[in-house]
Amino acid sequence: MHLLLGHSWDSCCAGVLARLESRGLPARIVPAPLTPPARLVWRLDAAGLASRLDWDDQEVELAGVLVRGTGWLDPAGWDPADHTYMQAEMLAATLAWLTALPCPIVNRPSAALWYRGRASLMTWRTLLRRHGLPVPEQLVTNDPAEARAFGDRLAALGIAGAVYTPLTGEAGYLVATDADWQGLAALQARAPVCLGEPHGAPRPACIIGGQIVWDCDAPPDARALEPRLSRLAADAGLDFLEVAVAPLRRGLAVVRVDSMPMLEHFAPPAQNRILDHLTALLAPAAAPHAALEAVP
Amino acid sequence: MILVCGGLADGVTELVCARLADSGYPYRLLDLAHYPAGYRVVWHWTDAGPAGVIAGSDWTLDLDAITGVYARFLGPEGRLPPEGDPEVTAALQFESDAGLMALLEDLRCPVVNRIGGGMSNNSKPYQALLLNRAGLNVPATLVTSDPAAARAFQGEHGEVIYKSLSGTRSIVRRLGPDQLTRLAFLRHGPAQFQAFVPGRNVRVHTVGDRVFATCIETEAVDYRYAHLDGLDVAMKPATLPAAVEAACLRAARDLDLLFAGIDLKETPDGDYFCFEVNPCPGFIYYERQTRQPISAALADLLNTRRPPAGLRSAVP
Repeated sequence: MHLLLGHSWDSCCAGVLARLESRGLPARIVPAPLTPPARLVWRLDAAGLASRLDWDDQEVELAGVLVRGTGWLDPAGWDPADHTYMQAEMLAATLAWLTALPCPIVNRPSAALWYRGRASLMTWRTLLRRHGLPVPEQLVTNDPAEARAFGDRLAALGIAGAVYTPLTGEAGYLVATDADWQGLAALQARAPVCLGEPHGAPRPACIIGGQIVWDCDAPPDARALEPRLSRLAADAGLDFLEVAVAPLRRGLAVVRVDSMPMLEHFAPPAQNRILDHLTALLAPAAAPHAALEAVP
Repeated sequence: MILVCGGLADGVTELVCARLADSGYPYRLLDLAHYPAGYRVVWHWTDAGPAGVIAGSDWTLDLDAITGVYARFLGPEGRLPPEGDPEVTAALQFESDAGLMALLEDLRCPVVNRIGGGMSNNSKPYQALLLNRAGLNVPATLVTSDPAAARAFQGEHGEVIYKSLSGTRSIVRRLGPDQLTRLAFLRHGPAQFQAFVPGRNVRVHTVGDRVFATCIETEAVDYRYAHLDGLDVAMKPATLPAAVEAACLRAARDLDLLFAGIDLKETPDGDYFCFEVNPCPGFIYYERQTRQPISAALADLLNTRRPPAGLRSAVP
């Protein structure tokens, strides 16, 4: 059986499930594989590692796992403090269990990936730089004058405003008017803010194993980044990675990296190619073929 | 110049600062009990990495001048009481810490420790797998939600202990008759059991390429809480077999930790078993008992500017 660790509303899980089932391969979308009535026995000793998971008193024999979540323990019926403890325990057990499974796992988690979730672009900068991938300038400061000077410098180059992106969030906010800058200064009194240069329309790409799928035909300068993007994914130990490149004043730069790609960022033809490659990674014996293009 | 990020009310951070002063190594303290209040930060990232300054009330530190960083982040209890809405304050504090962590991840000098390196401590069985790969023996370990499997494990090993799976601090306890009556609760979620390893505890601190081993003599199952059971603890410096010492250094490097606290046990037969690696060790307890120069080694490391070879850099 293939386990799709995530939710049925995740189009990635749903698309892979449809493809696996169309090939007659059993698969299930499960948001939290270790929660009751699951029965886990994971054992590490001098003889090595052995693990067994039973659902409904039947051993689950896994042929592959797609990791799209970390498992969430339903808080219903739990005292809040107990729930927090049990959630941490369940996360810890799930990570250890997944790490040691002998089947294909996409993405096979590391502790850093598991516990840090969807890291901000800032967190990826070291790796991006290591592989020669251009990134936008960013400024973190709690000094309103420095923030304003950053915006003024961009304005002098003909760029209206700067983008404020919380490091602990995903949204970006254009800071352009005096009122915006005053609001930002009020925020800076409590915490440093992260500012970046506004960029043009992002062009997403997905790296799946050795394949790169662009949302639509990528221009040559974007294609030229492909070897470096592949090395980035390999260095991070990820088989499934989304990046977005966008034009800045100095040329193309990587403006987003996400270890949890979102199919919604891609048009249907690209979605299908991504799902085909992903399914092939999870079930290596069967390569993607044209008939699968019709599967949603 | 060394940057220390922590709270002075924390004894470990206080000791690090004192040792840096004793060693004649200049440092600046970013007091996380107050940060960002009272500090000015300007960190500008370009393709070349971060540049900029951190400034306190009467000092300014250029990022290029930092030779090493010691960071010990604080929980809410170590911060000043929040002003205004506690939820908003917590969110802003989280954002402030995230910026600082991002900076520390991207500095080229030694950082004790980068955040990514400590993540394995949140899952003890996951960490056990990594320690095993590094060449350290780990006790027979069972993670299970199956009461029958827990009983069988105890039947096989006789004495068994249980402890938390996650980074949540827990007291290690023997699995006794009282606990056996509660095994049915395992069906709510898995717990971790380990074969009890007889012998003496050995705490190892790796500081870059240096190793400090301390043996701990006590009758307590968990020597950290011996006082709760009215038991004594005695410590003295120890020497590890070369292979164990090498494996400890390998484990610290594999986990990307410049400074690590490694819990071992030496059996009466002379075998060593590893229980866990602490990425933010409170080494003051061991240094005070044995006078081993752990903090001095740490000070030297922070003053070198260059990390020991073999350490990976940040991977998200």
